[in-house]
Amino acid sequence: MKFSLNIQYKTLYLLLSLLIISCSKDDPEPINEEELITTVQLTFKSPGITDQTVRWQEGSNNSDIISLAANTQYEVEIIFLDESDPSDIEDITEEVKEEADEHQVFYQFSQLNISLGQSSSDTLDSNQNPLYVNSLWNTSEAGSGTVRVYLIHEPVTKSSSTRDGFAGETDVTVDFPINIE
Amino acid sequence: MLLKFFIFPLIFLLCLNSIEAQNCNIKISGIIKDLHDSSPIFGAVVSINGSDTLTQTAEDGLYFFNQICPGKLIFVVEHSNCNSVQREVIVSENTTLNFTLEHHINELEEIIISDNVVKSLKGSAKESRLNSDQINKYSSQSLADALNTLAGVSTLKTGNSVAKPMIHGMYGSRVGIVANGIRLQDQEWGADHAPTIDLNGFENIQLVKGASALKYGGDTPGGTIVLSPSKLILKDSLFGQTIINASENGRGGSVSTKLMKTTSDGYYLSSQFSGKQFGDLQAPEYILSNTGVKQMNISMKLGRSKILSGWEVNYSRFQNEIGILRGAHIGNIQDLLRALKNDIPLRIDPFTYLINSPKQEGVHQNFHFTYFNQISNKVKWQFDYNYQANNRKEFDVRRGIPASIPAIDLKLQTHNLLVNLKWNTIFSLDYEWGVNGIIQDNYSNPNTGVKRLIPDYLKYQMGSYFVGAYSPSNSFSWDWGIRIDQNTWDVQKFYDVSDWEERNYAGLFPDFEVQQFGNKLLVNPKLNFLTLAAQTGISVILGEQFSTNLTYVLSQRSPNASELFSDGLHHSLATLEFGSLSLKKEISNKILLNFSKHKGRFKGTLEPYVSKISNYIFIGPTGIEQTIRGAFPVWQYDTTNASFWGVDAGIDFAFSEQLSFDIDASYTYAQDLINSQPLISIPPFNSSQILKYTSPKKQFDFELVNHFVTFQNRFPEMNFTVNTLNDGLIIEELVDISTPPSSYQSIDFNFSIYFNLIKQSTSSISFIVNNMTQTKYRDYLNRMRFYADDIGRNFQLQFIFSY
Repeated sequence: MKFSLNIQYKTLYLLLSLLIISCSKDDPEPINEEELITTVQLTFKSPGITDQTVRWQEGSNNSDIISLAANTQYEVEIIFLDESDPSDIEDITEEVKEEADEHQVFYQFSQLNISLGQSSSDTLDSNQNPLYVNSLWNTSEAGSGTVRVYLIHEPVTKSSSTRDGFAGETDVTVDFPINIE
Repeated sequence: MLLKFFIFPLIFLLCLNSIEAQNCNIKISGIIKDLHDSSPIFGAVVSINGSDTLTQTAEDGLYFFNQICPGKLIFVVEHSNCNSVQREVIVSENTTLNFTLEHHINELEEIIISDNVVKSLKGSAKESRLNSDQINKYSSQSLADALNTLAGVSTLKTGNSVAKPMIHGMYGSRVGIVANGIRLQDQEWGADHAPTIDLNGFENIQLVKGASALKYGGDTPGGTIVLSPSKLILKDSLFGQTIINASENGRGGSVSTKLMKTTSDGYYLSSQFSGKQFGDLQAPEYILSNTGVKQMNISMKLGRSKILSGWEVNYSRFQNEIGILRGAHIGNIQDLLRALKNDIPLRIDPFTYLINSPKQEGVHQNFHFTYFNQISNKVKWQFDYNYQANNRKEFDVRRGIPASIPAIDLKLQTHNLLVNLKWNTIFSLDYEWGVNGIIQDNYSNPNTGVKRLIPDYLKYQMGSYFVGAYSPSNSFSWDWGIRIDQNTWDVQKFYDVSDWEERNYAGLFPDFEVQQFGNKLLVNPKLNFLTLAAQTGISVILGEQFSTNLTYVLSQRSPNASELFSDGLHHSLATLEFGSLSLKKEISNKILLNFSKHKGRFKGTLEPYVSKISNYIFIGPTGIEQTIRGAFPVWQYDTTNASFWGVDAGIDFAFSEQLSFDIDASYTYAQDLINSQPLISIPPFNSSQILKYTSPKKQFDFELVNHFVTFQNRFPEMNFTVNTLNDGLIIEELVDISTPPSSYQSIDFNFSIYFNLIKQSTSSISFIVNNMTQTKYRDYLNRMRFYADDIGRNFQLQFIFSY
């Protein structure tokens, strides 16, 4: 009995020391957050008018006001940026274009009469549906309102006139006030 | 095993013939009982030393000799599963001699769980246990599904395959799961983390309501679920069992097989394998896309059990992959609103076995070594070392990132050491004392590209307990116990500098700050919690028919990793969830009562309970955070005072040997006392009724089960609004995530045929239909209720072969 108890204590001791050795911890490394979008930027171009760029940036919560002229056609380009690390700004738009089948840019206007058209420089998905990364906006009468900008991930359909119709998940939804003069 | 039944009666018959016709006619009779629960022992051999006179006990434990000569005799009582007992008696007249045997000494299972406190519950209602037949029935499902059949247990689900047991309205860290004598450490803090354990590896599941299993921890006010493996039989034998299930819903099935080899010198070796696969499940009207599941488990054990000492080495590995309903993956609260407004999921794809993101993958490995030694008749000690490695990965639908990279990748390793000393003194006093040391290491893989939801940490726990039981007679017992634990956290976590300042942690915990990396701050919280648990209970049996017990439990729980540190977006409800460093330990006082009556064909139990919890930790909405995906509700862990009460009740009535009717019901009331509102996710009143017919020779039976769940009218209001843009107008819309779904009823049917492939082991074929009437329903405790109906009808065939 004495002998076997001795062995038991040795086993116990061995296991306890294993337990203690197995515990040491390195400092964790900071995580480089991927697939993050922090900034939405819209650029408006129209012949004879100075280019206009507006931004919505995470954290600032205030978007710039878009000023457009009445009865004018604008070529509008949207880009998505990851500016979480100011020293390494990433353009997410390229990813969106590469995965055109899984994405859709969508604009909704409130209290404004702007008609949306396809731009020849837009990216098309494999079924020739426009992604609306580049689009044509035709303004009519003067007024003020809002545009809501969406980036939709994995929409169920690529052609809808309402946000609900696309389904999928919302990656971006930001509002910009618009003034048409 | 088989042998015993034939050979002993044979010897007995032979012996009877050889008894010489002396002038001896003293009658000696008695009963052989189990030392632990006083149950009669069948098949014990009683012999008189120095003569060839022997007999065997009948099923009621009775034995008798009727032609014994007067004089000094030595009686020997032996049983294959027990220590033998000898007693010297001077016989001069007809005598009654009763013996008690330590029946459990060879059964490792009992040795592990037969601590005194649990023992006192053994005699109580049938509700507190699941036997192997009941477990087998749920072979293709989960632990929580099997437990759900017990009154007072509900299931908190995320879809059909992620199911957590809930006892008296509590789940997660408030419910302990104990397997093979050690707490399961599987990131139980998450509401959408199912226990990583395969119920096929166990033969007995015991539910301990209240925190009375102090040996395993004192921090589970909900209760403890104790899973035990099959009993050992110390004979040369080889036996096994295979269960095959085939289901129509999900077009899948499961196979589970186990084999056990035992030898008469105490060695045993067993192995178990089970696997299952299901494709997309089906609601009554549509396919639940991406709800497939794959699971594979193996376990092996080798041990030797001698009468006075024994050891066992046990290894098991559990692996699963669970698809999460595709339509439930949302980007923001407008998406959530759209899903709520739609009657059917927003995405329904054709049936497939493929499991895509969102999904969960888990691997749980468990290594266990145990050794016990009965130092003397009265003292036994046991040593357990357990190592568990739990790896959990969650995959989200992501952009520009390979589908093989998870969004959450956590590895939790736990070392658990338990030394237990058990002794008994005269006057039926039993004591148990032990120390329990736990070291836990959590590692969050940084390669996910997503902020860590749970940080890296080391947690040390040192606990000690002392429990005792006094059972002077079979009809009265009193037990009590205390446990004290010291928990120490050493955490390394990155906070967004803005969050750290906004929560005033900079002012409260300046010592934790380590280093700033851009807009991230590395902090090293060191937290200590000292917890105390205590319990006491009395059990009284009043006559043959009526028994009652009263238990008081004090439990204290230190906050878990999620409550302290969680940090990020929860995709299933589009909420930002944050832990709180300021949380204090949760203190629960609970009183449980049990009344059982068993009279003839009637069996009834009534179990009311009441508890009061101070510093009850919960998560609730605190504000809105504006992000590029729109406004998100922010939910933060906080504490309140809460009160719970409820009743579990059950009635079994046998109309005849063949026909029986069971009814179970439970009700839980839970209130947040500070905010004067009901607590969230509390099971509504529910009841199940079972009508069962068993054929006279038990060749077949059939069962009709009706489940009824009412509308939960007590719920906190957690709604918020979102502005949507429709037809050129921006309007505020209410997102109702609070109102529970309506009541429902579903009917299951079960038909089984029994036969013997070999003698003494029953095999069966069953035909099972769940949700027979294709009831379309949503359950309040299923987090997928916002997105889709629960699963529809399922036809299932089950084969159980025992050999």
